[in-house]
Amino acid sequence: MVDEAHNSTAQTIISTATATPAISARHVNFAFGEGDLQKQILFDINLEVATGEIVLLTGPSGSGKTTLLTLIGALRKVRDGELDVLGHHLHNASLEELVEVRREIGFIFQQHNLLPFLTARQNVQLMFHLHPEVSPDDASRLTAELLTSVGLGHRLDYYPARLSGGQKQRVAIARALAANPKLILADEPTAALDSQSGRDVVNLLQELARGRGCPILMVTHDPRILDVADRIINMEDGRVHPGEK
Amino acid sequence: MYSAFFVAWCQLTYNKVKLAVAAAGVVVAVMLMLVQLGIRRGAMDNSVAVARRVTADLVIVSPRTKTIFASAQFPRRLLYRVGSDPNVLAISEMYMGQGRLRNPWNKLEFPVSLYGVDPSAGMMELPGIERFTEELNDLDRLLYDGMSRTNYGPIKQYLAENGSLDVEVNLRKVRLINSIDVGISINTDGNLFTSPVNFLRLFPDRKPGSVDMGLIRLRPGADTQAVRASLRQYVGTEAKILTREELVAAEIVFIRENAPIDFIFGMGAAVGFFIGFVVVYQILYTEVTNHLPQYATMKAMGFSDRYLLQVVLSQSVILAFFGYLPGFVLALGLYRVATKAIQMQFSMTVERALFVFVLTIVMCGLSAMIAIRKVRTADPADVF
Repeated sequence: MVDEAHNSTAQTIISTATATPAISARHVNFAFGEGDLQKQILFDINLEVATGEIVLLTGPSGSGKTTLLTLIGALRKVRDGELDVLGHHLHNASLEELVEVRREIGFIFQQHNLLPFLTARQNVQLMFHLHPEVSPDDASRLTAELLTSVGLGHRLDYYPARLSGGQKQRVAIARALAANPKLILADEPTAALDSQSGRDVVNLLQELARGRGCPILMVTHDPRILDVADRIINMEDGRVHPGEK
Repeated sequence: MYSAFFVAWCQLTYNKVKLAVAAAGVVVAVMLMLVQLGIRRGAMDNSVAVARRVTADLVIVSPRTKTIFASAQFPRRLLYRVGSDPNVLAISEMYMGQGRLRNPWNKLEFPVSLYGVDPSAGMMELPGIERFTEELNDLDRLLYDGMSRTNYGPIKQYLAENGSLDVEVNLRKVRLINSIDVGISINTDGNLFTSPVNFLRLFPDRKPGSVDMGLIRLRPGADTQAVRASLRQYVGTEAKILTREELVAAEIVFIRENAPIDFIFGMGAAVGFFIGFVVVYQILYTEVTNHLPQYATMKAMGFSDRYLLQVVLSQSVILAFFGYLPGFVLALGLYRVATKAIQMQFSMTVERALFVFVLTIVMCGLSAMIAIRKVRTADPADVF
């Protein structure tokens, strides 16, 4: 599935990554349902993502990639195993703690999920509500800068309905980066885009993340974008595929 | 830095047509509540208008009297006894009865309320009646209530233009010498005012010795309750003594018990409230449902449930404002229409405007409270 060339590049970069990992999973198990209906999705996941690393998570549908991503994103509770994200211990964390962690993460979804009634500028600026330490002036300046850096400087006051799919996804990326996240989680960000827009979006992500030293964990099926990765993790049947590291 | 209110504002105003429809629902609710409560109050106010116009300190009525619109009589001599109390400054008798006034234009007879009261006694606030004291003491001279229904013909205009009009009351020819504006009610279509002497000429069966109401003016500084207690010994069980306030209160009780005003119009207002509640709930619920993925995304990005609840609540408050203002203006227009159609005075009070405003906020707030439950179902783990 993944060719050897990528693996070797990934390994060289891992060695340069800093010591404290952004994500560290040890023996994480996860199951949906209760009792007889219980269906285990993740089995004994061990995983580390270092600061500044771009890691792709691939694997067939139903392999548990997205579930793993939601656990790392503090969107689900971790009940079995140890999961540390950005220095937060997520095992049995309360909802308040989970919400705290979410605020430090930039999420990019398959669907852009922009608020349709807010302009591109307002959608990005909304994020600063979670960061009152940024002054309103700085917030609007940063917003304009971010949108310009994703190539939408001329579309600041457009509503999402008037933007193309690629443009919307770029607004979503600007939004994810707005609050200066310490980690970016992306779930098939190119799935709804044509190949050129998809490529542009991924290049953009890579560029921005590299510039900020922000690690990215990206679930993808898209073979065209595998080259951006420092490392590729393959999942199958709820397990991290052996020998991929 | 964007408040929940700002987000709510953008969400509501993004689609102007949807906003207009949503606001229209609230407008209808506000209008219904204001109009129903207004008519209820108006009907009540008009019905006790006569009782409210009594300015005497104490009032004597028969113990059989339930309402002054159908009063029983008591012996006039009781009034003279009462007058012997040093605290009583003046007494005045009042006769009331239902007669028939014939419309001079179409020659039809309509019931009318007649009041025989000393115009110079100053015990009732009938605007301008003192000016006609001498004329009303002439035989068969009456004053017409300018706010009477149009059943009787355009008497008011005629009087204004020609000075006087000869009409037939209780099969007797009398002269209307002018009109004063007093007001009618659900009990009566029109009023005529005259002196006690002229009143008795119109009701040959009535004896001058039995009056409908006695009006008492006390010496300034006299303790009303104490005087009332001491006056009781003069009237015994033949009459009862009420204060002005008790008279009005008794009338209100009578109308509450005998006319379903409270129920009918109270229910109308409740229906308005319910309509508004359902409309706002539908709007908010649809808004939340349509934006569930976006809300879930916001939760994933670290927005708390509380923030999203504030967004929905803010929307309900905005809808309340958008609905209230036009609803208020429409209600004012309807008051005017109703005043003309029902020929009773309906007017907006600050009290009612505020009360209905609070009801509107409560109505929208309740809808939001229920719609909000949907927000909680937005699961951030589902957006991946």
